Amino acid sequence: MSVPSGSPERVGSSGAPLLLECPSPSGMDPDPPSTGSPVLSPDSSAPAASPADSENLSPDELELLAKLEEQNRLLEADSKSMRSMSGSRRNSGSSLVSSSSASSNLSHLEEDTWILWGRIVNEWEEWRRKKDKLLKELIRKGIPHHFRAIVWQLLGNATDMPVKNQYSELLKMSSPCEKLIRRDIARTYPEHEFFKGQDSLGQEVLFNVMKAYSLVDREVGYCQGSAFIVGLLLMQMPEEEAFCVFVRLMQEYRLRELFKPSMAELGLCIYQFEYLLQEQLPELNVHFRSQSFHTSMYASSWFLTLFLTFLPLPVATRIFDIFMYEGLEIIFRVGLAILQYNQTDLIQLDMEGMSQHFQKVIPHQFDSCTDKLILRAYQVKYNPKRMKKLEKEYTTIKNKEMEEQIEIKRLRTENRLLKQRIETLEKGQVTRAQEAEENYVIKRELAVVRQKCNAANESLEKAQDNIRELQQQKYTEQFVSNLQNQLEQSKLREAELQGALKEMQDKVLDLEKRSTCLPDENNMAALQEEVKQMKLRELETLHSFKEMQDSVTELNQRWQHHMSRGSTTGGGGGHWKESPKKNAMNELQDKLMTVRLREAQAQAELREVKLKALQLESQNQIHSKLIGRNDQERSALQDRLQMLSNQNKGLQAQLNEMKRKQSESDCKSKEEVMAVRLREADSMAAMAELRQRIADLEIQKEEGLIQGQLNHSDSRQYINELRDQIAELKNEVRQLRGQKAAPGSRLGSGVGGTNYQDLCLASPASAEGDYLSSDEDLLPSPLPPGGLYHGLSGPCHPSARLDSEGSTDSEVEERALTHPDPQQLYGGMVCAEALDN
Amino acid sequence: MEAIWLYQFRLIVIGDSTVGKSCLIRRFTEGRFAQVSDPTVGVDFFSRLVEIEPGKRVKLQIWDTAGQERFRSITRAYYRNSVGGLLLFDITNRRSFQNVHDWLEEARSHVQPHSIVFLLVGHKCDLEAQRQVTRQEAEKLAGAYGMRYVETSARDAINVEHAFTELTRDIFALVRSGDITIQEGWEGVKSGFVPNVVHSSEEVTKSDRRCLC
Repeated sequence: MSVPSGSPERVGSSGAPLLLECPSPSGMDPDPPSTGSPVLSPDSSAPAASPADSENLSPDELELLAKLEEQNRLLEADSKSMRSMSGSRRNSGSSLVSSSSASSNLSHLEEDTWILWGRIVNEWEEWRRKKDKLLKELIRKGIPHHFRAIVWQLLGNATDMPVKNQYSELLKMSSPCEKLIRRDIARTYPEHEFFKGQDSLGQEVLFNVMKAYSLVDREVGYCQGSAFIVGLLLMQMPEEEAFCVFVRLMQEYRLRELFKPSMAELGLCIYQFEYLLQEQLPELNVHFRSQSFHTSMYASSWFLTLFLTFLPLPVATRIFDIFMYEGLEIIFRVGLAILQYNQTDLIQLDMEGMSQHFQKVIPHQFDSCTDKLILRAYQVKYNPKRMKKLEKEYTTIKNKEMEEQIEIKRLRTENRLLKQRIETLEKGQVTRAQEAEENYVIKRELAVVRQKCNAANESLEKAQDNIRELQQQKYTEQFVSNLQNQLEQSKLREAELQGALKEMQDKVLDLEKRSTCLPDENNMAALQEEVKQMKLRELETLHSFKEMQDSVTELNQRWQHHMSRGSTTGGGGGHWKESPKKNAMNELQDKLMTVRLREAQAQAELREVKLKALQLESQNQIHSKLIGRNDQERSALQDRLQMLSNQNKGLQAQLNEMKRKQSESDCKSKEEVMAVRLREADSMAAMAELRQRIADLEIQKEEGLIQGQLNHSDSRQYINELRDQIAELKNEVRQLRGQKAAPGSRLGSGVGGTNYQDLCLASPASAEGDYLSSDEDLLPSPLPPGGLYHGLSGPCHPSARLDSEGSTDSEVEERALTHPDPQQLYGGMVCAEALDN
Repeated sequence: MEAIWLYQFRLIVIGDSTVGKSCLIRRFTEGRFAQVSDPTVGVDFFSRLVEIEPGKRVKLQIWDTAGQERFRSITRAYYRNSVGGLLLFDITNRRSFQNVHDWLEEARSHVQPHSIVFLLVGHKCDLEAQRQVTRQEAEKLAGAYGMRYVETSARDAINVEHAFTELTRDIFALVRSGDITIQEGWEGVKSGFVPNVVHSSEEVTKSDRRCLC
């Protein structure tokens, strides 16, 4: 919880400067003060927690210490009327003027303090070595304002650092964090005089130091909150020195770990703080838990800014003094003291109330009683060993958490992958169902096809048998070709036969011709007869020819006679003259003569016709004979033709038969080929199906394998284990809840705790531990421990005092033992969170 | 005395450093504007009552978180118990707008198994002259992530009430509809301080009446 920056307390307030308001310039005088009584009065409040190495102290120093105590007491009593003035180093000059309320008594004491601190600073090494306890004591009382710069440097061992020489160089460089630093600078102590206003000197140097550091330590760079620490340093010292001290703080005071980007150290601090809270303020812890008021809500700024943003600057500076000497332990102590102080208030408040209380009330509770706070802080039990142990626990828890987170991440990704796989498998299942249906249909079809196939196989076998038989009978293609050859041969033969037939026919024709030419033996007699007849006719004709010639000669003679008579009668015209009787007779003779001639001619013609008739007759005879012979021959040839055509027909029939057989065999062979092809196709289809089936089976196999893997893989086992673990953790959580649910019992046991708490409060000496016990014996007149703080810490129980020495430690142990193991608790919380996640 | 309220919502305010988270919350809870304020170191807590309907009040518990990235190790513990969130960016700082996605991622990865109702807030809208992020692109981004978008100014008190009440109304509607339920061990939503309040609307009104009597 940060305090609103506008809080008036921070304005004009100073870092416990009251002790310094001594006008004496001899503050740096190393000599011991000459004044002051060396005797410690029994009334004077000797420090209850006097240093262990008191033998090292001179009486003056002891006295001084006593005076310091007194002064502080007075201061606190007087605090209401006092208001410090000096705000910062810059106006410290004016602040040295003593305030109105500073009494002479105080200034006297201040003088002593100055002297003492002057000595301390001058003899620093010696003090560190020999009077460390006293120094511690003095620091707890507060370092005077003027000495803070040097003492902080000395405490931080930051007086002579090589990095100081780099500083000016660093300022020339530019840092990646510059922008963010620049933004935050205006928000750091904005109401403080030194840092007020834009571009004020304070802002400038603050920026410089922050930037320089971010360059020196690139890993940390700049972290919000650290500027408040640097700001405080800058209020006391120049920037180079402040830078060196800050570097030391980061390196040596765990601050670097706190401000690292992972802020792991802060988690550890909160874890440790929670443990202390649980151990020492269990009721408040339970209340916080019930209100889910996280420790980090108020405590993170405590650790990160060392109360500088929580408490007013004077108070925070006092704490810072101690921090410079003792480290973060003081933060734990003060934090716990604050809670303890406010326990009763807080327990009655709800979350908002508590938040308000933290924001408004607590910061100003200790304005006037810082010592009270610091005293209470030292009463807080703080066991460094225990803290170390807690650190170890925390780191193991964190490591485990990290591992678990990595594991969870891994499992998540794995889970995601598996889910995807399941999805795809589910999708696959749907398709597989479809496939299965299809498969079923296909199977049925397959069965049908198989039957068909079997039938086909059978028929094929039969066909094969047939083929085999046919092959045995040599009805193969060879046979077919043979047949074809035969057919061709037969065709050739046929053609030959036809050729031969033609030849024969030609021959027949020739023979017929020849036969017509050639006389037949049968016809010879007839032919001779014919020849005889012909000779006879020739003779007749010759005879008739001679007759004719005779007649012709006769006629010719007659004609010549006639002619001669005509020539004698005539002598030209005279004939007529001769006689008309002689003329008539001559004419009659002529007429007779012509008739005779005509008669001879007719007779010759007749004879010729007769001859012709004879010739025709003989010719006719020959022709008829020829016709007869031709008829005979023709019938013979016809017989032969018929025979040949018969033969041809037979061959044709044979050919047809052959053709039929050939086509038959062709058909058969085609059928066979077709059957073979069908069978081939069938077997191909069957093969494809079988392949498909094999593929299906392989897929099934793979799926089975995957399923097997899924079922038996390690991750599954691991998930199961994790589930078991989760179940266990749930049980634990339930148990823890059960514990929570019964707070009454806890409260019951807490009663003892509170009592005990009271005891502790009442006896600061016991809280300081063992080393003080020896001192108590050495002191000349030990005051009753706690007497000094009587007013603060309530009534001191005598019995508590009695117990305090003996029983504290054992009780601590017991309480530590009876307390629930924080790791277990924390583990439970983590698990519950993990579960929720 | 404690005021009467129906529900208590826990809100978380996130966003880059110096976008003005604390100032916005301060303006809302305290009604004032601090010119400068400390950088938040860790987590701060505020609360206020909001009247979403006449007579119906909701208590808001608001977590203010540190913006610097390294503080996320602390702040991420607060996501889980938050029901709503204001995701701030600075309209004069483009980088802070670009980081909105990262913030959402961060929140979502740490809020499981719950979810946070986010409102995207463009802050410092009084500095219009230095604007680097337009309203349109911011609205587009908000729409992409299913958020409302509001531009506010803590300095001029623009939309500050509006932003918180709108978010509260949205959450209230979700609680009414049963999308968000009160759960044991989860602090995001708690029912009102009146005993026997059950989170069905009927019961709520009944108890409401009883309170008023």
